[in-house]
Amino acid sequence: MIAAVLPDRLPWWIAGPALGLLVVGFFLVVNQPLGATGAYVETARTVRRVPGAVTWRAWYFVGIALGGLAGVSLQGIGVDPRAGYEVLTGSGSGEFGLSLPVAAVVVFVGAVVMGYGARMAGGCTSGHGICGTAQRSPASWAAMMSFMATAVATTAVINAIG
Amino acid sequence: MAPDTTRKIAGLVFGAGFGLVLAAARLHEYATIHAMLSLEEIDVFLLMGAAIGTSLPLLLVLERARARTLVGGPLALSRSRIQRHHVVGGALFGVGWAVSGTCPAPALVMLASGAGLAAATVAGLFVGLGLRDAQTSRTTGTAPTAGDGEQREVVAAAR
Repeated sequence: MIAAVLPDRLPWWIAGPALGLLVVGFFLVVNQPLGATGAYVETARTVRRVPGAVTWRAWYFVGIALGGLAGVSLQGIGVDPRAGYEVLTGSGSGEFGLSLPVAAVVVFVGAVVMGYGARMAGGCTSGHGICGTAQRSPASWAAMMSFMATAVATTAVINAIG
Repeated sequence: MAPDTTRKIAGLVFGAGFGLVLAAARLHEYATIHAMLSLEEIDVFLLMGAAIGTSLPLLLVLERARARTLVGGPLALSRSRIQRHHVVGGALFGVGWAVSGTCPAPALVMLASGAGLAAATVAGLFVGLGLRDAQTSRTTGTAPTAGDGEQREVVAAAR
């Protein structure tokens, strides 16, 4: 058994400022935003040995996963193959009852659109949504308002279908 | 310590801190993001607001004070004017975010927490990013430029 060191869910007023301090700290060390999209791009370039690949972004990529594993372990949940996907695969009220292969296709297609959009916009929820807005970048504020609006609208459509 | 070693260690440490906070706040769960975007609970919006509310004023003060970074020279924040691709790319990103129930960083936490479906998400992200890169290099012949939220050329060139 893993002991629960962290609460079941860290409240937003602790997690939010903690995230903000990580963003500031990262700027103070490497002078770069703590964005995840760039980590995917540079990790892919590092693995393919593209000249000029930013190798340390791959270390950051791995770090996110390791920190996540530590997080779920400290919560006393440990490794959980469901991880909240019951919205898609469960058969209760408000759940979609998808079979595992169908759910995999749905999240894959969603992720392709998400990746394409993130690269086009030059950032994602962490890159534009937190790091860019914190730098007071007009482009990041516009990108964030755009993705918030379409994400809420798309979810409304999903809930209407389901 | 060589600057490149510092960057790798900082990447690992700050990445781990980021992943830990995401997991601790349950942002890696499909249900959390779905409830947020269904406007059923406002916690994640407040979390993002608190993150911006903490980092924006601190970065403002540090910028005014002409702070120097450990291995990246003088602190340089980037501010781009709004262009079409920011808004259109953001709109597409939002649709994918709603469908896949996670964004790029929490997807890695999902995968690390053992959620098998997240493998499809991470694979899809690599495909989507690659598609855009392939399209950009075909039409312009150059590598795509980064936005204000991503790896910046300024510092990469100064290494």
